[in-house]
Amino acid sequence: MAGKLCVSLTNAKNDTDKATVAFVIANAAVGSDQETLVFLSTEGVRLAVEGYADDIHETGFAPLKELMANFVEAGGTIFVCSPCFKKRGLDENTLVKGAKIVGGAKLVEFLASGAPCVSY
Amino acid sequence: MREDSWDAGDMGCGELIVLLRKRVRALIPGGVLHLTARDPGAVEDIPAWCRLTGHFLRNAEHPFYDIERKKED
Repeated sequence: MAGKLCVSLTNAKNDTDKATVAFVIANAAVGSDQETLVFLSTEGVRLAVEGYADDIHETGFAPLKELMANFVEAGGTIFVCSPCFKKRGLDENTLVKGAKIVGGAKLVEFLASGAPCVSY
Repeated sequence: MREDSWDAGDMGCGELIVLLRKRVRALIPGGVLHLTARDPGAVEDIPAWCRLTGHFLRNAEHPFYDIERKKED
């Protein structure tokens, strides 16, 4: 792939507009042959739980579940902040396809390689 | 596939791009996708996408775009 891009997302149902647009941009990146990482932290980690995003459908956009599935199918990576996930008592056995629970070092490693990051 | 047509309707931005990638990758190298994309952002996005990916924009007359898959990855 030509380059790298990180999309940092800290929102879920508390701001479905931001959650949706983050994945739209992530799809633009992965669809443009960029090695693309979506980093879910704080409230954003809820999106990594299977079924949670099923009823999120912003006007004018595809359903979030579809955006997330297309992203992973195209080769995108989803990292989920481990302490944020644990703090909320979420079940690591119910992760959506393509999501991986990681610590901060994995994000730092990706960014330290020179990847720019856009935050939602 | 040597040639394909896709009417993406009003789809735009990342929703369009991630599916466009899939369509173009289904072509053989040198194959052509005839894309119809009515989203106003496509005017700038499709040429930018071709520059990023190395695919050749044969013709662009909004909303019609002919994209040739690059010869090698």
